[in-house]
Amino acid sequence: MVSYEKHSLPNGLRILVHRDDTTPMAAVNILYNVGARDEDPERTGFAHLFEHLMFEGSKNIPDYDRRLQHAGGENNAFTTNDITNYYLSLPAQNLEVAFWLESDRMLGLAFSEEKLATQKNVVVEEFRQSFLNQPYGDAGLLLRPLAYEIHPYRWPTIGKDISHIQEATLEEVRQFFHAHYHPGNAILSVSGNVIPEEVFRLAGKWFGELPGRKTPQRKLPAEPLQRKQKRLVVQREVPQHQLIMSFHTCSRLHPDFHATDLLSDVLANGDSSRLIRKLVNHKKYFSEANAYVTGSLDPGQLVISARLHKGVDPVHAEEILWKELALLAGEPLGERELEKVKNKVETTHTFSESNHLAKAMNLAYYELMGEAGLLNLQMEKYARVSPERLQKVAAGIFTEKNASVLHYEKANGIKGKEIIQE
Amino acid sequence: MTDRSTPPAIRLTDSIPFIRPQSHLLDNGLTVCFLEGGSEDIMKIELVFLSGSYHQNDPLVAFATTKLLGAGTVKMSQEQISEMLDYHGASLQLNPQKDIVSVGIHLLGKHLRPLLGLLQEILLQPLFPAEELQTFLKNQQQIHIINQKKVQHLARTIFNELIYGEAHPYGYRVKTEDFEGMERESLLQFHRNWFRPANAFCIVSGHLPANTGKLLESCLGSGSWGASEVASPPVYPLISPGSRKVFLEVPGSLQSAIRIGKQLFNRTHPAYHRLKIANAMLGGYFGSRLMQNIRQDKGFTYGIGSNLVSLLRNGYFFISTQVGTGVRQAATNEIYKELHGLRTRPASHSELDTLRNYLSANFLRSFDGPFAQSERLKERLVFGLDFAHDEAYIKELLSVTPEQLMEVAGNYLHEDGMMEVVVGK
Repeated sequence: MVSYEKHSLPNGLRILVHRDDTTPMAAVNILYNVGARDEDPERTGFAHLFEHLMFEGSKNIPDYDRRLQHAGGENNAFTTNDITNYYLSLPAQNLEVAFWLESDRMLGLAFSEEKLATQKNVVVEEFRQSFLNQPYGDAGLLLRPLAYEIHPYRWPTIGKDISHIQEATLEEVRQFFHAHYHPGNAILSVSGNVIPEEVFRLAGKWFGELPGRKTPQRKLPAEPLQRKQKRLVVQREVPQHQLIMSFHTCSRLHPDFHATDLLSDVLANGDSSRLIRKLVNHKKYFSEANAYVTGSLDPGQLVISARLHKGVDPVHAEEILWKELALLAGEPLGERELEKVKNKVETTHTFSESNHLAKAMNLAYYELMGEAGLLNLQMEKYARVSPERLQKVAAGIFTEKNASVLHYEKANGIKGKEIIQE
Repeated sequence: MTDRSTPPAIRLTDSIPFIRPQSHLLDNGLTVCFLEGGSEDIMKIELVFLSGSYHQNDPLVAFATTKLLGAGTVKMSQEQISEMLDYHGASLQLNPQKDIVSVGIHLLGKHLRPLLGLLQEILLQPLFPAEELQTFLKNQQQIHIINQKKVQHLARTIFNELIYGEAHPYGYRVKTEDFEGMERESLLQFHRNWFRPANAFCIVSGHLPANTGKLLESCLGSGSWGASEVASPPVYPLISPGSRKVFLEVPGSLQSAIRIGKQLFNRTHPAYHRLKIANAMLGGYFGSRLMQNIRQDKGFTYGIGSNLVSLLRNGYFFISTQVGTGVRQAATNEIYKELHGLRTRPASHSELDTLRNYLSANFLRSFDGPFAQSERLKERLVFGLDFAHDEAYIKELLSVTPEQLMEVAGNYLHEDGMMEVVVGK
């Protein structure tokens, strides 16, 4: 249970505070309600590039990082398809420095051509390091446009292509800031050794004078119901075949989300999960197997991936996986197996409640989803999933026409060949 | 309008919320330390055995022995063990290293009894069944083969071989064929020799149920768990290599991995604290000279850093980055410039002030809560140090001068003595 107090400023900024006396630190999290889904299809990767520019100096403070380090702080940020999230932790007595820094970069950035050029290079190197210069690194880049045709989830947060990053202009940076970086589009949360009234006072002092701007209404195209299975075969210079199957699911906010999440746990969370126990350890088809849900705010995906041992045919491997999925759709889970995945969720959740930074992040994220208090209802929602519900959700998800299947194959002397199977 | 040109006043932390560990020596020779704290019903049990790959007779034996503790015991199959762990929402952290292996478990206090019983079972009675061993080796071999395609991974392993030599366990590079032909007898033997209470300590941290001490004693204090003497570890002489450079071309690379560094010493050396501060200034945090120059000014890389690694019998220093192949030479030149600068260009007042504040807060962060403190305690116990060693670091941090930092850099991080590995193009 994470207790919290909430306050809003007239300019639209929402503030959440959780007090935790067991730590000498304080964590500050600012979530901006903008992600890769809000990008222009010709400027993909922009929200993430912008995140880098947020550290390159603001209206009155040229050196964000150094000022924070000087106060003993440490920080980072991440961009997803849905949000851009900035977080820091510092000794609690220096909390006001965080308000000074964060309010100034919400007030305005010190844009410059030179800094934009440097950070474009940094992001291009990040693109290479994380996606292009790694075995299997581009699998995620291939999967998204296969699974989504219309919705902006069809591109990854790093961007569709390096050229999109290289072509970004300073004018576009300015417009993006104006549209998305203002109090009404942000949620501020603080957790740690702090007094809520003092946090609200600091919020009023530093953020109160920032002008409110109108938040643009999101008009994203809904992904149409998939009526036919999509398949892609690529060949790459990798040591083993990899098989990825991705299925459309509900959104994070849908009542079936918790059942969907538990399905991925039944498949591949822990050594006793079905894919690990049966297909990795017992039958030895795969050297590793994985399953996860994207948990996105618009309808997401449940992704299953496996690396095949030498001699296992990808077509055969796919049949084996389909059989496992049919079992989930065909019969209710035993009580004990369901209890097991719920217990794992409980441990993860309880550990996150001992971490002041995780608590600040969670409060902001659940507030974005409707209300910070939703965080404290999660355990109950998982607990309420019944074997019948789980089976029904599985039957809805694991159908042939709902799947996008990527065969990422070891090249047989042919380099970079791609075949789209109709 | 609020005055935004003047930063709010800051205050350094003057006290560390140190939890004094409660230590007990069990009858069988196992030392147990309790670190109590935290408000949630969560805890961690970690056993550390003072033997790692340094102590093995053949490659990967320490690794396989540790990783396969849960692969089957006298009473339980691999499936039963993983089922029991997962059912109680727990997972094992099996972490084989060069000098030690660590076996940890995170759990909710309410499941302590069954999970301690399980921990006892897998620590005392593992069987390392042949079939599970073969499956494990085959899967690990695949991961190894994939790693051989990563420039960063290659640079790391080649660098270790370069500074320690392939005959030394610290320098040995695992080969693809090492995953073949291992017998379970080697694992049983490694377990028999080194997984002994007198060769270990245990740290229990978190919110501890009232009966924790008793339960632990009944499960891990057993006299039947090899109370006999532990053999003395093998001795491998350290070579002292000169300056050398290795370039490995990987056609088609988009980035080159660069690793520059040298053999040095560990945290028990008298110059360690000061050198650690100098290292932080060079590449130990985002505000460091390497990061500011090579990422933030030049845009050559997504990240660059330097580090001091403490091993039990030695230690080393390295700088590591991945850069676009087109700027590989330019980036390398800048790295050497910064190494040169570390011994010739004094820290400005503002640079040192920021470094001090950042590192002292980081030190505080490393004592934030029982789990963080258990990491610190582990480090002290492995190296035979006490809390006074930690306090000496803070003293050094508050008093060190720019001249002293240049001097220590000149003594130990001179650019002429470095080894260099580049993998890519």
